[in-house]
Amino acid sequence: MAEAAQILGDWNDMVESAPNNRMVLDASQLAKHWRRVSLTSDFWAYYLALHVPGNLSRERLNREALQSVLSYVLNELIENCAKFSTGVVKTVYFESWNLDDFMVFQITNHIRPEAQVPFTEFLHGLLNGDPTELYFQRIEESAETGRGGSGLGYLTLMMDYGIRFGFRFRPVNEQSVAIDVQAHVSMIRKDS
Amino acid sequence: MTIQMVNGEDFSVQHDPGTKTVTFAGSIRLQTMEAYAPLRKLLDTAIAEAGSGATVFLDFRELRFLNSSGINTISRFVIDVRKQNDVMLKALGNQEIYWQQKSLTNLQKLWPKVLIEIQ
Repeated sequence: MAEAAQILGDWNDMVESAPNNRMVLDASQLAKHWRRVSLTSDFWAYYLALHVPGNLSRERLNREALQSVLSYVLNELIENCAKFSTGVVKTVYFESWNLDDFMVFQITNHIRPEAQVPFTEFLHGLLNGDPTELYFQRIEESAETGRGGSGLGYLTLMMDYGIRFGFRFRPVNEQSVAIDVQAHVSMIRKDS
Repeated sequence: MTIQMVNGEDFSVQHDPGTKTVTFAGSIRLQTMEAYAPLRKLLDTAIAEAGSGATVFLDFRELRFLNSSGINTISRFVIDVRKQNDVMLKALGNQEIYWQQKSLTNLQKLWPKVLIEIQ
């Protein structure tokens, strides 16, 4: 019997009716040919930003700003897929939806089942604190220890761009758990 | 003291000891923190060669993208220069490049003495 999915953070079950795009990739190929991560992110950022009309009210992100935000968020998420696809299944799914004021992205990769508990603990820390406080705390720790500063990509996106994240864990077989990461990107301008 | 560079297929980073400036250009999205080591070494050279009390300029105006590992590398560098408290830093940004508008001032939150000029 299949185990139930575990959900953390801001999760929406997306409706089929919104304009939607999909792509399937291989995590091992992304890791091997690293610049494909950047290329893929830049492609989708450009492709999706064309959805935004040229003339906009001041309250909305213009095309260039949106493209830049999308390129940053997609690059971080696809980098994670390339780095952390430890499950037997190496497939990476990309899916996006355009709503009136939001774009929603869902990026899926697969991890080993034993990696689920440590990762959910890591996410609890990330989702339940103040992103700005956590960001500076983790940067200082990273400088102190010389280690890689985990979660800084997510924290930058939450702190500087107001992006909200949701995570869903779905066991797919005995050796792989799928992680669906949702990013909710507002198209309303938040002036700094 | 000569001009030194770190180049990749999508980027270049140059240190000019004459102007005490490290100039970043292109899109820097390296795979690991270890991959950033040559870039960090270039930054450390800029500090070592600048001399006590000098200001080192970090010119990001032509840098379109920097991933979170890159932002972490620059942030750790700023923290280490803060600890030495001997050389000043000034970061030059570009108003037209969105990530710089959003994230460059975070360097000042790490060390209030860092000057930020977004043009």
